[in-house]
Amino acid sequence: MDLVDRYLQAVKFWLPKKQKADIIAELSEDLRSHIEDRETELGRKLNDSEIAALLKQHGRPVLVANRFLPQESLIGPVLFPIYVFVLKIVAAFYMVPWILVWIGIEVSRAAHSGQSLITSVAAFWTTFWPMAFFMIGGITTVFAVLERVQTKSRFLEEWDPRKLPPVRDPNRISRANSIVEVVANLVFCIWLIGGMWYQTVLHFSGLTITLSPVWRYFFWSFLAVAIANTIASAINLFRPYWTWVRASIRLVCDCVGSVLFCWLMKANIIAAISVVNVAPEKTAQIAQAINWWSAKMFPLAIVACAVIVTVDAYRIYRVRSNAGPGIVLNAATSIC
Amino acid sequence: MTHGSQNDALVENLRLELRRGSLVLAVLVQLRAEHYGYTLRKALAQYGMDIDEGTLYPLLRRLESQGLLVSEWREEDKRNKRFYKISRDGKVVLKQLLAEWQVIGQSLEEILKESDHGSR
Repeated sequence: MDLVDRYLQAVKFWLPKKQKADIIAELSEDLRSHIEDRETELGRKLNDSEIAALLKQHGRPVLVANRFLPQESLIGPVLFPIYVFVLKIVAAFYMVPWILVWIGIEVSRAAHSGQSLITSVAAFWTTFWPMAFFMIGGITTVFAVLERVQTKSRFLEEWDPRKLPPVRDPNRISRANSIVEVVANLVFCIWLIGGMWYQTVLHFSGLTITLSPVWRYFFWSFLAVAIANTIASAINLFRPYWTWVRASIRLVCDCVGSVLFCWLMKANIIAAISVVNVAPEKTAQIAQAINWWSAKMFPLAIVACAVIVTVDAYRIYRVRSNAGPGIVLNAATSIC
Repeated sequence: MTHGSQNDALVENLRLELRRGSLVLAVLVQLRAEHYGYTLRKALAQYGMDIDEGTLYPLLRRLESQGLLVSEWREEDKRNKRFYKISRDGKVVLKQLLAEWQVIGQSLEEILKESDHGSR
């Protein structure tokens, strides 16, 4: 019976103190009755392997003990979906951007300083994991505390169906957004025409900033994109549902705008800066530094533009795959 | 995992779920006569209600803490055994549960009959 005693001892370890003796006495009785029954059937004593097989059939000690313990969870079924949602939000809006920015910085650093990829990846692991660990650990701790509070106060059971948010249509364009877009694009157009028409874009209080001749191309291109965006947003204002035509126009505009923006970063756009009473060598250095930092920001610009273009492309996919009730509502206005 | 084994696992899970509710009923019915754990397990197995000790003993403890069973330690065949029996409250609850069980059975039969007619 050595095996049985060892088994019971292993089960006992996991049991709550107050019930240990009682549960073990009962389990012991059950096991011994089972063994006796088998021995009567076979007409002989069970050997060690047969007892081991029987114990295995009863289950791993920790699992057997677990069934006697009160069923507890760190985060219960009421809060768990909210917990997963918060983790997803943190991953999407903090961790993923963090990784993307890091990739941008490291690619730029590798290009400029010749740092090896392995060193960069090692640096990433050493900074990313503690950040992710504390972030996820912190959220889990907050939810575990909320779970305890919820179990006692049942605050989540107090709710009013009338306070639920209205049905959301993913293909509906918010009128407020369209108005903001129209105004922002118009302001941008006015600023371009009023302040950026000439190569010398600033001439004030002794400070003069002159752009390189290539600015002329950027000027017309940015103006064209801004006018196209203003018209598209104005149409969205009066027909507030995404159609694949308008979503595609938005994608094209954003693609062109992104290419221009990224190109601008690398274009050494500041030709000269002059400030009264400051040596030309000094201002030349400042102009060079601005151009240098602008070029250094190129990878970040690519990441930001890639995010914008991905969102636009996903919008087309969503509209084309007829997801959401917006398409049904939008049937009558499906052509731009 | 193959489709067949996935299906088997699903059926097994659903079967266990179905049996879980009826186990309480079976235990209460069986404990109208006094039993200790092992003989109760054997008696239930005899009627096709196999239940492992990892499920039975926690269930017995829960039913006892709910006042539906009473138990006492007694010596039998030179060994200490814990004997369980349904309590007075347990008998009242069992009566209600059996009535509910019959209602569920009848409802299910009606639904089956109706759907059989419909599918013809």
